[in-house]
Amino acid sequence: MTTEGGRALLAETHGLTKSYGGHAALDAVDLRVAEGSVYGLVGPNGSGKTTLLSILAGLRRPTSGTMRLGVARGAMALLPDTPEFEPWLTAFEVVDLARALVNPSIPRERVTDVLVEAGLRDAIDRRAGGFSRGMLQRLGVASTLVGDPALMLMDEPCSALDPMGRREVLDLVASQRGRRTVIFSSHILSDVQEVCDTVGILQRGAMRFQGPLQDLLTGNRTPGVLVRVRDDAEGVARSLATEPWVTSAAAIAAGEVRVGVRSTDEAERELPGALARAGARLVSVRPEEASLEQVFLEMTR
Amino acid sequence: MSLWRLEWLRLRRTWRGVGLLAVFVFFGLLGPLTARYIQEIIERFGGTEGVQVTFPPPVPADGMIQYLSNAQQIGLLAVIGVAAGALSFDATADIAIFLRTRVSSTARLVLTRTAVYAAAAVVAFVAGAAVAWYETWALIGLVPADRFLFGTLFGALYYVFVVAMVALAAGLVRGSLGTMVLAFAFVVVPQVTVGLVSAAKPWLPGHLSSALAPLSQGTAEAGDFVRSTVLTLVVIALALVAAIRLLDRREV
Repeated sequence: MTTEGGRALLAETHGLTKSYGGHAALDAVDLRVAEGSVYGLVGPNGSGKTTLLSILAGLRRPTSGTMRLGVARGAMALLPDTPEFEPWLTAFEVVDLARALVNPSIPRERVTDVLVEAGLRDAIDRRAGGFSRGMLQRLGVASTLVGDPALMLMDEPCSALDPMGRREVLDLVASQRGRRTVIFSSHILSDVQEVCDTVGILQRGAMRFQGPLQDLLTGNRTPGVLVRVRDDAEGVARSLATEPWVTSAAAIAAGEVRVGVRSTDEAERELPGALARAGARLVSVRPEEASLEQVFLEMTR
Repeated sequence: MSLWRLEWLRLRRTWRGVGLLAVFVFFGLLGPLTARYIQEIIERFGGTEGVQVTFPPPVPADGMIQYLSNAQQIGLLAVIGVAAGALSFDATADIAIFLRTRVSSTARLVLTRTAVYAAAAVVAFVAGAAVAWYETWALIGLVPADRFLFGTLFGALYYVFVVAMVALAAGLVRGSLGTMVLAFAFVVVPQVTVGLVSAAKPWLPGHLSSALAPLSQGTAEAGDFVRSTVLTLVVIALALVAAIRLLDRREV
């Protein structure tokens, strides 16, 4: 079995390509998902996230490339972004059907447990036809968890949830780390940053980056410094922009200037002098903390 | 909950099972009544002023023939509609994903649904035929039980064939409406094309659909339907194999 960072890879693809006519929905994707990780698959709409998850789940076939899964099909579960169920089944029956199909030896008591865990305690005996989108999403989560899958594929699981529901799902996903492997697709980048330890960025079907989230945040972003001044942020920005070690300088809010620099070392050496030359009334200086959203926008721009 | 129970609940909670049964039982009640009182009905409602229409006295077979003539049209459409609603399981992608990512094989899904809806169609057809047979006995006279049983058996096999055609159609198209139209074509087109050749007619599945009529009349024997029974069984098997392969290969 292939390993990465000391951990076995549970899902691995090589040159995975999926074409529809002349359009490549996936273009030679090499995916590497380590066992026990929470892998965030991010990308704009149409970047191939759902196609990749569908191929992993066996719902679509790749045009070319290879795929290796370290689990049996029955030990894998897919939660689509808009789960739907027979409207005349109750929540209990939906999850019980999932249990019986995946592994009938799982005790029926687990059905109630996962429904409670998914926040559907009061709707256990209600028919799915009357559920809101958020409740359907929770029901999807429950019917995914009931089979105790080793690999969970979650396609935009928070897309229909209210803030409280979103919080619960994120906590639930985060709690899976180490217990099972999760591939979590989303375009809500703060969600991915919060719960995932590994990130893959898809753009137009190609994998632009794949690796630990921390590597992405520290290694793929132009270093920057946030400077707060008492007055005239515009004037300070104009002055700093003339420095050779500054790549960009802009007033981003009242009294706040973002300074892009060639390197953090240079910034630490040169910035005090440059601010003095600009006549800035300095309030504070701090290194800019990169967010996944900023890195993502820079990479996909 | 098993796939069998899922389909049972679908039949019960969507009222499809009751609806199917009601259609055939209704025609089972109506057929012998029409056969027995056709003279009176025409005289009262026919509007044939000045024209005297005389029907020969009804015979027991007429009750069964009237039942069949209705069941072969409305009943057939009802069976196709109900079966298509269940067998076109890729019509809603997210429901298909729920099932396809959990069942061990597509064959299990297809065979369970085909069996349940074939059974529902058979029960409905047999119930209607039994009602027609009893009412015919009460109003007109007795159709011999052995002839009734053979005719009903052949008719029931025909409805299994119809449901198998729905499964095949569901393998070729995704939507319920498309499945219905295609299945109807699979069932009817051979009858109105190949069936016009008199030598071919005894081989066709459609020959079984009306077996109850000549058997009730005494103009045919059970052995006359062996060829179509064999061919129908072969077609059912081939249709199911094809449906499973097609549905297995389909991407969702």
